[in-house]
Amino acid sequence: MKLLKDKKNELDEINKEFLAETLSGSASLHEALSTFVNDKLKKESLDAVIKVEKKCDALKDKYVQVLYRDKRALPFLIEDRYNILMMIDTVNDKMEFFSRFLGVYPFKFYNEIKGEFTDLYGACSKAIEELVDCSILIETDFDGAYKKTFEIEERKREARTAKFNLLGKLYKMKDDPTKVYLTSKLVTYMYDIISWVEETSDYLRGLIIKYPSK
Amino acid sequence: MALEYIVIIFLIISIIISFGIGANDETMAPLYGSRILNMKQILILAAIFAIAGAFLLGEGVSKSVGDKILLLDYEAAGINQNAVVMTILISTAIVLILSSAFGLPISSTHATIGGIMGIGILLGGENGVNWGTILEMSMWWLASPVIGFTVTYAVVKVLNKHKLKTLKGFQDFQRSENKYSYIILIIICITAFSRAGNDCSNAVGIVVGVGDEINLTLLLLMTGFGLAAGVMVLGRIVIKSLGKMTELRPSTAFAVQLPTAAVMLIGTIQKIPLSGSHLLVASLVGLSKASNTPMKKGLWKIIAIWLLTFPIAAILSIILYFPINLLI
Repeated sequence: MKLLKDKKNELDEINKEFLAETLSGSASLHEALSTFVNDKLKKESLDAVIKVEKKCDALKDKYVQVLYRDKRALPFLIEDRYNILMMIDTVNDKMEFFSRFLGVYPFKFYNEIKGEFTDLYGACSKAIEELVDCSILIETDFDGAYKKTFEIEERKREARTAKFNLLGKLYKMKDDPTKVYLTSKLVTYMYDIISWVEETSDYLRGLIIKYPSK
Repeated sequence: MALEYIVIIFLIISIIISFGIGANDETMAPLYGSRILNMKQILILAAIFAIAGAFLLGEGVSKSVGDKILLLDYEAAGINQNAVVMTILISTAIVLILSSAFGLPISSTHATIGGIMGIGILLGGENGVNWGTILEMSMWWLASPVIGFTVTYAVVKVLNKHKLKTLKGFQDFQRSENKYSYIILIIICITAFSRAGNDCSNAVGIVVGVGDEINLTLLLLMTGFGLAAGVMVLGRIVIKSLGKMTELRPSTAFAVQLPTAAVMLIGTIQKIPLSGSHLLVASLVGLSKASNTPMKKGLWKIIAIWLLTFPIAAILSIILYFPINLLI
């Protein structure tokens, strides 16, 4: 019994650290984007996002190793927690991918679409923050976590509006096609992050609905 | 054939029968399905309780196979009673072992009665079998799944209402499910223990009736090891197939196991031949319906084998009777 409790505590600790790192990665990305739209991209922030992703990968591996230690089939709650961890890890992967892309984006950002882009990454940062909150709340408060999932959905709507307003303006620009193309890619990759965050929150909502009824 | 040879043969057969019963023992399936223990732990636990149950509870063995069902006048008709009993037991063992190998939980009582009916009809025609008793038993065989389904359905509904009111997050669920894990573990261990005690009577009753000089303690121990060997070698197939039939958690496994254990206990006290396998499968279906969880494939296969158990065992006993009668 003591061993089981130790294992559970170890998993909880890893999970907490993982979520804290995810939040720090999101904050670094937000910082990098704030400097990027003002033409002073802070490369250190992008590096920080990449480092966070590596650290999260290591934490994820540690989590799996703890689970695998006794080669026991995953009990239902651990399985769901593991799935949540994996889905949030994909958020980290997407942030890292975006950071690497931003690192090689060779142009100055368009002033005309700065407002929409700020809205987009603002919604994205907020959604990640809410997702982390939701995954913490699901442990103790289904109602609170359930409400959070709708807030995340709202963030996605805001992001979608910002994205299409931005693309609408971008596609009308008569500029270097490469710049237009790469900028649209930048927007799409950013939207991919929030889209995945919403998918993860849908999964959490599914669990909240599933648990009390089964 | 000399009496000592018959005793040795019967001893071997009773161990084979206990192996067959152990192989088809699905008692531990809810533990596997709800993942409270892994398969290795389950098999070790099942083996320990099989040996302990047979050894400690099997002493009141007095069961004789087919007393109430077979209407044969052995002496008048010149029928070799040993050959009849052995045929029934061997056909039961074969049916049990084969169904276990395919992961199909069947009732050992059904297999035995199927064998008895086959022999009864072969040797005594339509008057060789007490059809009144068969009809009475059939009523309970039909009622067992209905009872299992209904009770589990009701327990799951009540449990779900309770969960909705009291459990507010994963941690609450974990605490609640942990408590159920202990409860279900205790219930299943008690069930396995008492079931081993009952089951061994099916296997050793035949030997007890043959000779007085048999060491009953040693016999029970051997039967216990036979049950344990059956669980260890083939038992995992039935446990896996039933445990995976629908989504189980410790609390829902409790909802499935509690009515099964309670109804079986009432059945034993009232001397009603209920089938634990039928009750458990019906309880799993009740759980699936109450919690809107889909059933995995295989249910129809199990129902089909339930229906086929009687004719298969009957035909098998008819086929086996002739060579056994020649040998004994």
